[in-house]
Amino acid sequence: MIPQKFEYTVPKNLDDALRLLASGAKPLAGGMSLIPMMKLRLATPERLVDLAKLKDLNYIRESGSDLRVGATTTHYDVENSALLLRRCPLLAETAAAIGDLQVRNMGTIGGSVAHADPAADYPAALQALEAKLALRSGKSERTVTAKDFFEDAFTTALSPEEIVLEIIVPTEDTATGTVYEKVVQPASGFAIVGIAVRIRRSAGKIGFARIGVTGIANCSYRATAAEAALEGKAGSDADIQAAAALVTTGVDANSDLHASAVYRRHLATVHAARAITAALSRCA
Amino acid sequence: MKISGTYYLPLPPERAYQLLQDPEVLAKAMPGCERLEKIAENEYRMKMKVVLASLAGNFDTRVRIADQTVPSSFRLLVEGSGRPGFLQGDGLLKLAPSGAGTEVSFNGDVQVGGTMAAVGQRLLDGTAKRLIKKFFESLSQAASAATA
Amino acid sequence: MATTITKVETLVGKRVRRREDPRLITGTATYVEDVQIPGMHYAAVVRSPRAAANIRSINTKAASEAPGVVAVFTGKDTENVGPVPCGASLPGLRVPHHHILATKRVYFVGHPVAVVIARDRYLAQDAADLVEVDYDVVPAVTEPERALSQGAPAVHPQWPDNIAFTYHQDGGDVDKAFAEAEVVVKQRIISQRLIPTAMETRGVVAEWRAADRQLNIYTSTQIPHLVRTLVAGMLALEENRVRVITPEVGGGFGSKLNVYAEEALMGFVAQQINRPVKWIESRRENFLCTIHGRGHVDYYELAAKRDGTILGIKLKIIQDLGAYHQLLTPLIPTLSVLMMPGIYNTPNVRADIVGVFTNCVPTDAYRGAGRPEATHGIERMVDILADELNLDPAEVRLKNFVPKDKFPFATATGLTYDSGDYAAPLKKALDMVGYHKLRQEQADLRKQGKWLGIGISTYGEICAIGPSPATPAGGWESATVKIEPSGKVTVMTGTCPHGQGEETSFAQIVADELGVDIDDVLVIRGDTAIVQYGIGTFGSRATAIGGTALYFALQDLKAKIKKFAAMFLESEEVTFSGGKVISNSNGQSKSLCELAAASYRALQLPPNTEPGLVATRFWEPPNFTFPFGAHIVVTEIDGQTGEVKIRRYVAVDDCGNIINPMLVDGQVHGGVAQGLGQALWEQAVYDENGQLVTGELMDYAVPKAHMMPWIESDHTITPSPVNPLGVKGVGEAGTIGCSPAVVNSVVDALSPLGVRHIDMPLTPEKIWKFMAGSRS
Repeated sequence: MIPQKFEYTVPKNLDDALRLLASGAKPLAGGMSLIPMMKLRLATPERLVDLAKLKDLNYIRESGSDLRVGATTTHYDVENSALLLRRCPLLAETAAAIGDLQVRNMGTIGGSVAHADPAADYPAALQALEAKLALRSGKSERTVTAKDFFEDAFTTALSPEEIVLEIIVPTEDTATGTVYEKVVQPASGFAIVGIAVRIRRSAGKIGFARIGVTGIANCSYRATAAEAALEGKAGSDADIQAAAALVTTGVDANSDLHASAVYRRHLATVHAARAITAALSRCA
Repeated sequence: MKISGTYYLPLPPERAYQLLQDPEVLAKAMPGCERLEKIAENEYRMKMKVVLASLAGNFDTRVRIADQTVPSSFRLLVEGSGRPGFLQGDGLLKLAPSGAGTEVSFNGDVQVGGTMAAVGQRLLDGTAKRLIKKFFESLSQAASAATA
Repeated sequence: MATTITKVETLVGKRVRRREDPRLITGTATYVEDVQIPGMHYAAVVRSPRAAANIRSINTKAASEAPGVVAVFTGKDTENVGPVPCGASLPGLRVPHHHILATKRVYFVGHPVAVVIARDRYLAQDAADLVEVDYDVVPAVTEPERALSQGAPAVHPQWPDNIAFTYHQDGGDVDKAFAEAEVVVKQRIISQRLIPTAMETRGVVAEWRAADRQLNIYTSTQIPHLVRTLVAGMLALEENRVRVITPEVGGGFGSKLNVYAEEALMGFVAQQINRPVKWIESRRENFLCTIHGRGHVDYYELAAKRDGTILGIKLKIIQDLGAYHQLLTPLIPTLSVLMMPGIYNTPNVRADIVGVFTNCVPTDAYRGAGRPEATHGIERMVDILADELNLDPAEVRLKNFVPKDKFPFATATGLTYDSGDYAAPLKKALDMVGYHKLRQEQADLRKQGKWLGIGISTYGEICAIGPSPATPAGGWESATVKIEPSGKVTVMTGTCPHGQGEETSFAQIVADELGVDIDDVLVIRGDTAIVQYGIGTFGSRATAIGGTALYFALQDLKAKIKKFAAMFLESEEVTFSGGKVISNSNGQSKSLCELAAASYRALQLPPNTEPGLVATRFWEPPNFTFPFGAHIVVTEIDGQTGEVKIRRYVAVDDCGNIINPMLVDGQVHGGVAQGLGQALWEQAVYDENGQLVTGELMDYAVPKAHMMPWIESDHTITPSPVNPLGVKGVGEAGTIGCSPAVVNSVVDALSPLGVRHIDMPLTPEKIWKFMAGSRS
């Protein structure tokens, strides 16, 4: 539990941080994932640049029909943001499910998505929201979709010199019902299964359904087969069960000490049905 | 931990068999492999670098090819240790003709120990799958290059 | 002249706030990690990553040349230090020599192999990473039944059957009982290996003063005096020149009722390098190398009549001992045997224990130490019997309880239960939970396809350990009470509270007995240079035995004070109250301060009386004490996922007289938390190669506050005749009563599916598989 020696720098501003990253320093944000790895000497960065100190990146604001969340915004701030609770409640509800109070006080949305833990909560919501991520390096800036950003376990589209600048989510239509449902691994607080649902129904027909899933496989994903099975349907119990049964179609589920692949798939189906039902009940 | 799977290589079995035992090809295909050095007949030492999020480990690894039945099967034994811990893999690879190419199926056992085993439990299944997938993808590329 | 003496309110029996808390919750208490000594160096221990291997070689060259390193030691250097002691003796016990650092072979992952000393902890760890050990790996075995099977690897090559001991005990005529039985139920029941997970890991600071041949050891322990005696022996030092100081201890739960290799190792190191040295256990080390709890595979058979009367019990315990014996390792399952009949009136028992070596860290005492396993077993069997006979489980229990008028009660296993009224807590708990309404609700919910379970456990427990002939090192306890010339009172207790609260409860006893303000009372423990020899805190003994020693010391002191009082007040008939000693006849008084001062000034002494006011007592208990109770747990099972929710938790515990109800609540809550941990979430898992895969808190689910149900806690009070306080002990009772109630509840919920038994932990996937399997 004793880390190796390392240098720690507080960057003056974003450009300074990017310059340091380009020179080989590793980014530190909330430290909730990195520091335990360093204490176990599984991660041995020689230089750390503390991005959490970049207060300029800690914001939640409206921008046209989008909401932009700065990378160093803590989960606590996302959870309690009046703006998000009103305009994108799914993101706030998802943040509230992360870890525990201490983790939420320290952890940042940028750090969390860049870490891309296959059992983290945000990716499910960001997939369902079809969110975009603004990435920045010393030399360039680009935007990628959540789908393209999350590539694999702990693997994102970020190049070593890039950081996540902000997360862009759509302002939710007030008719949309959203929910994040999670089966918590009792020791770690991570998701054994996490399901984010956005759904809209009008004139008795589901016109819009987005389902993001985390915890099952090496990477989060959108359950497009389940979404397709909902669209155009009335949303009866039978419709919901039929769609939920497709939520892990084509996905390679993982097994571990806490849940076998078979049980994970089963949990996904059960909780997808519950999440869809709950989201429908929240539809205006 | 049991692992198994099937992959397709665009080469006939005899060529595929040779490819799978070519140290240059193996060196490129083994995840994070930096060098493959022959230490005995069918035995190699290599430095393997595995990166998983912030976890980066250098593993001193020995690879041994055994029980060769040309061109249909052989065993691949891998033993590596580094600061994050140690790993041992023992896999049986079977090659069968499939159209113009070869279907490679493998069945094996991977044991992990040390710090990685203690903290990485939930990642083992997924990581093993990924690394094996990358291994075969790399072999596929080498195979395609060989036929080109 | 008639006098009215205004009695100041007494404190015993009141919820007095803990005096240890202000420093504990403001972070101003001193733990081992806070100890700083000039010139102190730091130790990092190199541990085996392999469960079973011969050590071919150890290369320490790079480590010893690393920056800041002053020394590196391996097993060759420490070969002649005495072995880590096992205090338990059983006939035919095989005891492997337990070197403090491995010499030729390693036996479990985490086995210490070398130690690196450097000027700071970071350099020590860097250098420890440079120690190269060449292991010749051999097969390991981690599962006790597998270790007993044909062809299993030998943990200790000299004992290829992996058996450390066998044990047999008969009571009554169990063959006759089984022959006459109308029904026999059998079940294999597992009490899984657990990791005690004290919030503070272990730690040692050792300081050697060569000129005085004095070794000071600061260690986080439950037994400072025993550690002193045993470590002095290991290091061949004069016991009276070894001092053990126990600062604040952040939890022990039995895992610090032990002598560990590192305690002697740091002493050795301090002597070698002639500087103080500190070692603090990391959480990972704590999981790997601090003792684990439980580890039973139990085979039960219960013989009964169709009306539910239990005739006899057979029990075979396969005990996973681990690779070595720590202090009490082989003794723990024998405690299970002692309590195998529970609180039932059954004279016919047969017990067999097989103690098995495995390539895992040793098991030893962990909250309950053998009694949770025994209670879990008998309480499950009673429910299985009730299920088999289609009888109400509460009725079967009431039918079989030792009747209230039969105490003291001689049990089939050779114990004498002190006092008990087993029906009382059960009836109270049934009432609190609304049992009959619940059964009706259960029936209604079953028609709707919902799963509600009601689980009962009625437990008895053996604690206040114990009469010395029945203990390995003595089971008495000591207390010294001093009144200083200024009238302030100091208590030195041989117990070693580490969170229980005796600093407060003992002060309450003193305040009432001497009539002083509780703030004038100081309770000290844990320094062998200051406190007379004591045994320590474990086995729920501190108040029952340590408090009794205190009580008798107080009586001695009062007798002496009365003599001084008589000099001034003309009578020994006095009352101690409000800081004064008051004559019962004429109301005249002298303050306790004045009398104390007088006793030291000694201008005038009573006949045959020495100056000063100090009393020391060593009290030998004539028996253990036997708390008891009833826990009822109501659960709801999610039919789709197998998740278990606790709707209600009712605990009615009888620990005899209660000194401080708030402390008792704390013990019940904490005990139940650890019982729930075992029942629902925790398991120490080793893979087949001996890797501890639940190696961190990320994978080992210790209950957190938000996971706890609300505990409805009540008591019955049946004083113990064993000690004048009437106190029984309650530290472990909550854990003992808890797990069977939970499992009984879940099995009860699933009984329409024909589920007979499920082993802990009751993870959702396990329950789901049972439900899916039963339905298909």
